[in-house]
Amino acid sequence: MSSRNEQYPADLSGAYALHALDADDTATFEAHLAESEWARIEAAELSDTAVALGLAVAPVQPSAAVKAKLMSLLASTPQLPPLPRAAGPDPAEAAASAVAPTPAPSTPGLPGTPPVTAGGVSTDAPSAVTDIRSSNGAASSPHGSATATERAQVRWFKRPAQIMLAAAAAVALFVGGTVLGQTLNTNQFESQQASGLAQINAADDSQRAATTTADGQEATLVWSNKLGISAVLVDNLPALPSDQDYQLWYINGEGAAPAGTFDSSGDSTAWRVLDGTMHAGDQVGITVEPSGGSDQPTTNPIVAFQS
Amino acid sequence: MLGLMTVDSAGDLAPAAPATKEELLARVAHGDQSAFGELYDQIAPRVLGLVKRLLVDHAQSEEVTQEIFLEIWQSASRYEPTRGGASTWILTMAHRRAVDRIRSSQAGRDRDTKIGIRDLAVAYDHVAETVEVRIEHERVEKAMTRLTQLQRQAVSLAYYGGFSHSEVADMLHIPLGTVKTRLRDGLIRLRDELGVAS
Repeated sequence: MSSRNEQYPADLSGAYALHALDADDTATFEAHLAESEWARIEAAELSDTAVALGLAVAPVQPSAAVKAKLMSLLASTPQLPPLPRAAGPDPAEAAASAVAPTPAPSTPGLPGTPPVTAGGVSTDAPSAVTDIRSSNGAASSPHGSATATERAQVRWFKRPAQIMLAAAAAVALFVGGTVLGQTLNTNQFESQQASGLAQINAADDSQRAATTTADGQEATLVWSNKLGISAVLVDNLPALPSDQDYQLWYINGEGAAPAGTFDSSGDSTAWRVLDGTMHAGDQVGITVEPSGGSDQPTTNPIVAFQS
Repeated sequence: MLGLMTVDSAGDLAPAAPATKEELLARVAHGDQSAFGELYDQIAPRVLGLVKRLLVDHAQSEEVTQEIFLEIWQSASRYEPTRGGASTWILTMAHRRAVDRIRSSQAGRDRDTKIGIRDLAVAYDHVAETVEVRIEHERVEKAMTRLTQLQRQAVSLAYYGGFSHSEVADMLHIPLGTVKTRLRDGLIRLRDELGVAS
């Protein structure tokens, strides 16, 4: 992020509308947008102008296979809930969203679920941790699963610093800024999540692995080695009390790397695209951690996938 | 409200008009798969047309188109009709994703830079299939003639070529600040010519 752009962020409006900015300049300009209604109006107008350029391009008919594959993916592709409150330029709306129970900035919650409702699960959750783990061991080939879990726990230590960078960058999106900025960022985070899941599902090397928790909840890992990203989807994962989060981990020979936290409403499909880069053969685990997540796992995984 | 909405709805005024894209998106937001199929039929050719304009490769363009429609399915609830037409929302997303693919893949770097320079005017190699597309094409082409040649060149490279502002600066051997100014001034001129205002 250069001082040049911080000095004249308004100059970036054209390049922004044309998607010609890199990530740093985009962040600079969006910080500017959060502060200036005038800038938001110009950005919206120039973005619409860019669309006119797109509408002038000759249409191309996709092959029938594209639609067929899409339709077959819909049932297993969760949809985002509506935003609690639109991040409009209206001050009344901004004030309303200040009061609205939006997910906490550092734990933006899960795209597929509303914020956690505290229920009588604080005692259930820890026991679910052990239940699910032991039942996984019993359900499939006990020996192999136990070994995998053991391996996962042994590797539960070190983590590569470079993977943390990506996670840190994602968190940085949510610190600082106005309430409006936060709402924009929450929406942006969710859009990125939706886009990530869409990319995985549409990838030609898209793979999935399914397992079942002790309570019969279906847990699915989808990933693309080509893209180096993965996502976890769990049906009806129990809601956690507000001082806890589910946390995702990439586990390999170098240890366990934190890959993001999420909440669950308990009654829909909770899902999250993992932060960081997936490497072929990585395990993916979920633990219950103190709110905001931990640097290292502090509990046993409730689910572990072998990709 | 937005100039482009007029264009959008004009295309939907045919006799026995199907549901508008805005109506379809609202149904998609509630999980209506048949509405999704209908929306796809209405706008997928435009999405693929745009994506392919940037990516060139047909198979890769279809893959990105698939990604875009999955994202439409997932985030339909985030579409706000008060901010513009459904086509605007979808084509903005489509352009964004096409650019993302160029930036993230080797395929992007392999593209011959001539692709961007090839047709600086609004490319249109064959007669439009629909009146709507042809009208929009002529309108944009006319508006583009109001830009300076340097503005038109920078805007075309960025939008149709998918090049970043620093790539455009490198290609044209001009300072980055100059590119920013050309892109902004060029789009503002286009906005005024096209009558896009909120």
